[in-house]
Amino acid sequence: MVRLSDLHPVEAEHLLKRAKDMPAVGPGDWVTPPSVEEATVAIVSTAGLHRRIDPPFTVGSLDYRLIPGDTQFDDLVLSHISANFDRSAFGEDPNIVFPIERLRDLASSGEIGGVARWHYSFMGAMPDPSQFEQAGEEIGRLMANDGVDIAFLVPI
Amino acid sequence: MSEAVVPPRALWVPFPLGRPLGAVDDSEFQKNVMRAAFSLLDTAIKPTIEDYEIKAPHDDLNENWSCPLNLGPASSDALSERLLAEVAMLRPWAIETRHQRGRTLFGVTGAGEDQIDDLARAFASIADAGDVISEPVVDGISWAFEMPLLLRHMADDLRTFYHEAIAAQPGDSSPDHDDLNRWIFSETVLGETLLLVADGLTEASDMPMAELVRGLLIPEGHYNGGSAFPEQVDFPIGQQAPAD
Repeated sequence: MVRLSDLHPVEAEHLLKRAKDMPAVGPGDWVTPPSVEEATVAIVSTAGLHRRIDPPFTVGSLDYRLIPGDTQFDDLVLSHISANFDRSAFGEDPNIVFPIERLRDLASSGEIGGVARWHYSFMGAMPDPSQFEQAGEEIGRLMANDGVDIAFLVPI
Repeated sequence: MSEAVVPPRALWVPFPLGRPLGAVDDSEFQKNVMRAAFSLLDTAIKPTIEDYEIKAPHDDLNENWSCPLNLGPASSDALSERLLAEVAMLRPWAIETRHQRGRTLFGVTGAGEDQIDDLARAFASIADAGDVISEPVVDGISWAFEMPLLLRHMADDLRTFYHEAIAAQPGDSSPDHDDLNRWIFSETVLGETLLLVADGLTEASDMPMAELVRGLLIPEGHYNGGSAFPEQVDFPIGQQAPAD
């Protein structure tokens, strides 16, 4: 998660105000997964990331897009609505936002147990994150069925 | 934000928005960020936000970035002609980036990879006429968004083209988000066009979402020196993407 001090002052002030108005969400139940070396990891992105064939995100989207683990980078685009983050880095190296190749590296070196078959993408920029509860629980069930032990949430 | 959400384990990183793993094309740096996050699974016994203090390498290389292209003095040509001339100057570089990467992020609007001129002409026409209500009609493009949200994504496709053009140019420094915004809004016809469309959205403030889209169109700090969002943001929740 980025630091407020690294944002444009107008953006930082805007987010501080939103944070004060944000309803409390957690903490959730405390869960201890198996050791990382044995765990299967899935990425959950909030970058508005999706395949070209998928419908884009729109204002207030609460739904998510599936990203298969074998998706090629040339098939991924962003339709996040915010003008306040740098898309050029994703254009240069998609791993900086969706580090699927890095997960494969860590699996190859035995540092994690494996890479999930499915990964998930939401669009952030939601003033009230509790609105994501239903979709979040849904992908939790999907990840459990996919044998996922760790959800690696990568905010944009 | 993280404090309000109370995630079980969070890593607080010193990287700008859009770069959560810190450094492009640096697999070891990216993996070290991930290792630090995963190590919280071994150490945290209650909700924890841990500070990651390692800055990305080459973090300061962009300090002296400026666009090497001379995009030309202002002329009295119509806005669309000037915007198309600017796009033409950037085109060889954008093509080079697409060639090097074998991919592009352009086309979220529904425009094809070779339809940058059509997109630029349509966007300039909207800016010129101040008509932010009527959906532009362009042969061969089926828009993926409805107005006025389409304006935001037309802007994004145009910015993507500009960013990809910059990426291929030689030099050790590369622009960050602030550099790109300063360049777009102080040196390019695209910046002038974006601000005209934003003014059109202000004029159309009775239209649902017009002022919200203005805030989504112009980065914070670049609309009259401040925010393009209205004081009170009515944020629609739960919208679905338009059907094909």
